[in-house]
Amino acid sequence: MFEFLFKYPRAVFAKGDLVLLGGWPRWALVLLVLAAGAGLAWLIRSKMPQASPHVRNWKAGIIWLLQFALAALLLLLLWQPAVLVAELRPQQNIIAVVVDDSRSMIIADAGATRQQQAVKALEGGVLDALGKKFQVRLYRADARLSRISKLDDLKNSPPASATRIGDDLKELAGEAADLPIGAVVLLSDGADNSGGIDLDTISMFRSRRIPVHTVGFGLEQVPHDVEINDAVIAPRALADSRLAAKISFHQQGYAGQKAMLTVRDGGKVLAGRQVTLAGDGQTQNETLLFNAGAAGARTLQFSVDPLPGEENKDNNSVARLVNVESSKRRILYVEGEPRWEYKFIRRAEEDDRIVSIVSMLRTSENKIYRQGIADPKELADGFPSRVEDLFPYQAIVIGSVEVSYFTPAQRELIQQFVDRRGGGLLFLGGRASLADGGWGASNLADLLPVVLPNRKGTFHRDPATVSLTPVGADNIITRLVEDPAGNAERWKKLPYLMDYQEAGTPKPGAVVLAEMTAGNRKMPLLVTENYGRGRTAVLATGGTWRWQMSQPIEDQTHEEFWQQLLRWLVTDTPGAVVASVPSQMLFDDGRVQFSADVRDKNYLPSADAHVQAHILGPAGTAAEIDMTPDPNSPGTYHAEWTAGQPGSYLTEVTATHDKDELGRDVLNFARMDGVAENFHTGQNRELLEKLSAETGGRYWKPQDVSRLPSEISYSEAGITVRDTKELWNMPIIFLLLMALPSAEWLLRRKWGVV
Amino acid sequence: MRLLAPISALLLLAGMSTGLLAFQRGGYSDDEFGNAREARTYSGENENGKSEYSWSRLRYTAAGAGGGGYGYGRWSSWSRDYPKADRQFLIALKRLTRIQARPVEQVVDLDSTGPESIENFPWVYAVQAQTWTFTEPEAKRMREYLLKGGFLMVDDFHGATDWEHFMNGMLMVFPDRTVEDLTDKDEIFHVLYDLTERFQVPGEQYVSTGRTYEKDGYIAEWRGIKDDRGRVMVAICHNMHLGDAWEWADDPRYPEKFASLAFRLGINYVMYGMTH
Repeated sequence: MFEFLFKYPRAVFAKGDLVLLGGWPRWALVLLVLAAGAGLAWLIRSKMPQASPHVRNWKAGIIWLLQFALAALLLLLLWQPAVLVAELRPQQNIIAVVVDDSRSMIIADAGATRQQQAVKALEGGVLDALGKKFQVRLYRADARLSRISKLDDLKNSPPASATRIGDDLKELAGEAADLPIGAVVLLSDGADNSGGIDLDTISMFRSRRIPVHTVGFGLEQVPHDVEINDAVIAPRALADSRLAAKISFHQQGYAGQKAMLTVRDGGKVLAGRQVTLAGDGQTQNETLLFNAGAAGARTLQFSVDPLPGEENKDNNSVARLVNVESSKRRILYVEGEPRWEYKFIRRAEEDDRIVSIVSMLRTSENKIYRQGIADPKELADGFPSRVEDLFPYQAIVIGSVEVSYFTPAQRELIQQFVDRRGGGLLFLGGRASLADGGWGASNLADLLPVVLPNRKGTFHRDPATVSLTPVGADNIITRLVEDPAGNAERWKKLPYLMDYQEAGTPKPGAVVLAEMTAGNRKMPLLVTENYGRGRTAVLATGGTWRWQMSQPIEDQTHEEFWQQLLRWLVTDTPGAVVASVPSQMLFDDGRVQFSADVRDKNYLPSADAHVQAHILGPAGTAAEIDMTPDPNSPGTYHAEWTAGQPGSYLTEVTATHDKDELGRDVLNFARMDGVAENFHTGQNRELLEKLSAETGGRYWKPQDVSRLPSEISYSEAGITVRDTKELWNMPIIFLLLMALPSAEWLLRRKWGVV
Repeated sequence: MRLLAPISALLLLAGMSTGLLAFQRGGYSDDEFGNAREARTYSGENENGKSEYSWSRLRYTAAGAGGGGYGYGRWSSWSRDYPKADRQFLIALKRLTRIQARPVEQVVDLDSTGPESIENFPWVYAVQAQTWTFTEPEAKRMREYLLKGGFLMVDDFHGATDWEHFMNGMLMVFPDRTVEDLTDKDEIFHVLYDLTERFQVPGEQYVSTGRTYEKDGYIAEWRGIKDDRGRVMVAICHNMHLGDAWEWADDPRYPEKFASLAFRLGINYVMYGMTH
């Protein structure tokens, strides 16, 4: 219809420039159009007194508009309008036809596989039509781009496990530098599993003005499917830790039904929970809690059990790697007076094989009682005053101790312990804690996640009940029951605290996990915050021990809470070397970049260390690579490597300085081929439309693709000629010339003025 | 001299009343011996009792009270040396440690509920334990109290017969746990004071008799019942009378060395109970 009315394909107007071929100046046209409009307006207005009362209103405006449009159209035609458009020269240009040959293209969702539909579309006249005007080059695109001589090659080849539209197009754009490629036709479902198309690729096509026409195959929405979007879990954990994985997924066709969500380590089910599926297309987030188990590299499989009628079951599961560490973590607990909280915290932590408490308790004015020390010299002189004595701990707990107990040097050391060393720091409530201990007025007030009240007398030996905030209900520290709503209810039923302390107001960026109520007053109980490389928290009570004494003997609430809180405090405390990769899961592409943050014994960035990565992989793969320092970031080292084979890889990064080992760290990653292709199996129309729109091409549905050969000619790439398309003889012009006066005549007749 | 007879009668009446109060349990109510009374009678600081530590004395049903019992030790009870011993000990505790202790004692029962519940007081002291008796629910509650982290110190019972009767009650609490001797290596003797040189601490009878033992309890025994981690849950002071030593510490006739050891032992036991 468009071409019938406008004589030329839509591409002519989309890509061409409007020109006026008449010799008269353009300003004259504008002037005459304005004059015609004004003249007609004056004429109608002057005739208004004699006109019928029926048209002395907006109807006169309509008449004026129709007359003015006719006059303007006639004037425009006198200036001879035309479109100047670049057109590919016949037989001198190449059209690159790229057919996606990845595994997702063998999905049958319209009576035939997507690849068969693509081949059928090309064989249905498109290739022949293109061949009459251009040279046609056929390519198959999967993990890499390869040229094929005929479509049969496509039919006979096995599908590849991966698609990298971005990489393939980049390769094609590079090839276009030496060839007169006029346009690219991409037949695909848009399922790209290498991160999409980057701006570089698009700009390469744009700079060469090569339009990419995309033809989309596959259903945009799979009717019956459950797909996991992501599973977020900490890449490192301590042995026997309670881990929380946040799993997001969506579904089509199963709204309201029940499904089983599980996490497995190998064949062993670690945790499972039945969930009710949300509405079609809605992203649903669920949390699974499970025990990390013993030390080692874990490949955890998160899955939603397949439902009846599901066509693609391979996207119901994702794998994630977790490095479970067994290195001991030590917490220094400083307590200013004997109190029950001290005893029961120590008891709660005694079952923890990884985290241990080293405590110093001021029993009398001149005596410190030490527990959990590794040797008789440890803490013999009281709280450490040197980096080498304090920084070996992973966290500090400060109980009922006045800030004045610490020397200025010790205070500075505590600040550096959190900021530079990355340790955890927990303040407990007590009669010498927080505001009552003078902490708010000290230089360590910055460390606190709260702004303390500016007064004394904030500690009260009165009962307070506890409750969780919405954030706390879903937080690993305060998680006693898996279901967040159930967890919040469980906390409400906990025995009251023996005492409480007013902790003031949370700072911006701090997270309040739990609150307490005394009388009618609600106050923060547990507040956490990240500070520098470390983390700090306030637990504004010294009375959680009642959770142990006042509940049934089999209840483990007190132990669980304290173990979770203290593990949070130490888990992310880094060592001297911290190795990382951007993503632990490599899908179909083995390229990996290692980074390492290296610190010296004082935890200052070490810029002149010798850093190596030792890699062990499947089938005896072993490599040792030197990491190079980043000139812009002292203490940071990088290295690139390619994992050639699918499988799990273990990497140990070591750092030495003058033959002294600074530290070492272990990380794991895995290359998985053919997995990503199982996800997002519906047509990614958004990607295809974006690609064509950015490059000046067009997105086509398979049923419209027969018109592609006529439109593809209009391109500025390759060898082109500039063609002038006159517009005066378009059918639409003739229709308008007829329609405008006819409409006026009909209206005048209707309104009674003829 | 005309007043001698009325005064004697008054003293006799007062003595009988005190005796009755001391020998019976059923006749007492919380109003008479609980916090409220102590708060009224004690004029020291922090009368309201809001402190970290409260010296807690176990009130149990003594054998023979209320018509039942074993027929021995009828003149003993949970309140021996009470409350002077408790308060003098608390003075020492406050002076020698950083424990914020309530100046007045707390009486706890094994059937108490609410704020007076024994679970709110994780350290408890019992005397004359050869007379104690438990019902099954009381024994269960004591057992769970100790396993959850509570601490029990037992004092002032002497000789083989007392031990036998003490164990009758103790076996109801812990049928399967053994009583073991505490040695110099046990942390309870080092947590604040190093108490490797211990000797028998006699009761007040020492002032008049010079005898350090009572009944056939010639040798002082420091014993204990431990939990699965080797922590002392029940500290048993057999053949000694620390309570009397605290109570009579201000009597010039009572030797300082006994009082001193008694205070140190008590403080170590409290400190141990608050740290282990």
